[in-house]
Amino acid sequence: MVRAEEAARLDRLESQVENGGGGAEEYLCLVRKLKARRSDKVLKHGLSILNDPKARSKLGGEEWTLYEQVAFAAMDCQQHDVAKDCIAILSKEFPGSTRVGRLEGLLLEAKGAWAEAEKAYERLLEDNPLDQLIHKRMVAIAKAQGDLSAAVNLLNKYLEIFMADHDAWRELAEIYMSLQMYKQAAFCYEELILSQPTVPPYHLAYAEVLYTIGGLENLQTAKKYYASTITLTGGKNTRALYGVCLCSIAINQLTKGRNKEEKEGSNLQSLAAEALQRDYKERAPKKLPLVISMLKNMKLNS
Amino acid sequence: FLSRGVEFLSPFLPSKGTKRWQRLQIRPLLFFLSQKGLCFGGAAASMAEDLVLDTAIRDWVLVPLSVVMVLIGVLRYFVSKLMRSHQAPDLKVVKEGQVILRARNLRAASGFIPAKSFRSRKTYFTNEENGLLHVPKGQSQNAQAQMFSDPNLAMDMMKKNLSMIIPQTLTFAWVNFFFSGFVAAKIPFPLTQRFRGMLQNGIDLSTVDVSYVSSRSWYFLNLFGLRGLFSLILGEENAMDDTQRMMQMSGFGFDPSRVIA
Repeated sequence: MVRAEEAARLDRLESQVENGGGGAEEYLCLVRKLKARRSDKVLKHGLSILNDPKARSKLGGEEWTLYEQVAFAAMDCQQHDVAKDCIAILSKEFPGSTRVGRLEGLLLEAKGAWAEAEKAYERLLEDNPLDQLIHKRMVAIAKAQGDLSAAVNLLNKYLEIFMADHDAWRELAEIYMSLQMYKQAAFCYEELILSQPTVPPYHLAYAEVLYTIGGLENLQTAKKYYASTITLTGGKNTRALYGVCLCSIAINQLTKGRNKEEKEGSNLQSLAAEALQRDYKERAPKKLPLVISMLKNMKLNS
Repeated sequence: FLSRGVEFLSPFLPSKGTKRWQRLQIRPLLFFLSQKGLCFGGAAASMAEDLVLDTAIRDWVLVPLSVVMVLIGVLRYFVSKLMRSHQAPDLKVVKEGQVILRARNLRAASGFIPAKSFRSRKTYFTNEENGLLHVPKGQSQNAQAQMFSDPNLAMDMMKKNLSMIIPQTLTFAWVNFFFSGFVAAKIPFPLTQRFRGMLQNGIDLSTVDVSYVSSRSWYFLNLFGLRGLFSLILGEENAMDDTQRMMQMSGFGFDPSRVIA
């Protein structure tokens, strides 16, 4: 997760470099460290450094990392010849290296030659069966071809070995959601919450999945997770506030017939409604009447 | 009085050919005795007076010893870097590491997921038949046995041990040969008589205060103390992990299956 100060520094450096000030290498270093995806800028400034032999020699050992970075950016911007040149230079310097082999596979992927890319990656995997990045590229190939179930299978096999990789769990959760396999997606979100319990988006997504699956127990759990999202974000998450209201209404609808022994307290619902109205008053006062009428309808119908 | 003292010390008196540093052991004692006017025949009490140590000791013993140990440490670091063999990661080891990470996350954040999911994950890990973390009784191997059965690991350990033992032995022998038989330093706090044997190895006078130590103890002090210095100048993960490795060697009854208990 990019921290706020570093993001601000990145933007500042970017504007500085764009307007002709120095500091291009620092900018590129920061982009590399934060793994930000600013491919066009990286390409432009990286190429200007690499084409200037004086600046290139000033980089020293970092030159090769820069080549790799520029090759990535070029492939992202669909400039395949630039990427091919960079990769050629790199493979001359480091023959037979896995890292360069990965770049070559990426180039094939970028050009759309899926079968050849797969073959190249499999060859690399024979030598390094535990290379995480290559496994992830194979998943990406399957996903790019639209074959989501194959991607799911590959990702599951990857996660059997590397089960502590939370990025992979996130990817799997998103794929399951797009495939509408909600129960499996819920499992993945649980994994994410386990590994990073203080990150609000995971709680929110989990709550949404539970709400979508439906059923009284799931709705109650969903309400709890919406509430925890509100706690974690300090009440600023509008979607969670809506979620709380909707959950309460759905629960009330389901428990209409039974006697309400466990009235969890409509406090939460009314508080959320109030917070919603306050939020809208501050940020979008024109829509406030809509919200008020909607809430009134919901209360009447429940 | 002085003649009496000199009489007593006659076997220790320097002859013409002794080196300067051998005379060092006499000078302080003579000085001390002359100050106090004590008769050796009667004095049995311990003397808590100050010996004045020649600054030449500091110049020619303490500082060179430290410098030599630092240099040897740096040399060992580079040699170990050259000799290090790259070990390809093993699938089983990686998988186990990841499983442990995931199980640890489960234990730490168990309050954040619904009870049902927690229980299902718990069974997944600790199930009798195919639980990932379940180790049937009697099958868990002792870490030591495991380490010796894997030839690569054993070779690695041997190399590391050798690179640690040989310089230590050599330096110790060097110190003993050249720097023995005199008082090298004074420890700033008082000690009991039990430490005498350990700290005053070359000094054969039982009446010198225990705070005055020989250079052997300075060697040991450096051995354990230079670790901090090495982590400064060599960066993290440096070679001077002697004390850690010694602790590892002694603590081999370590059973990993009982770690997460």
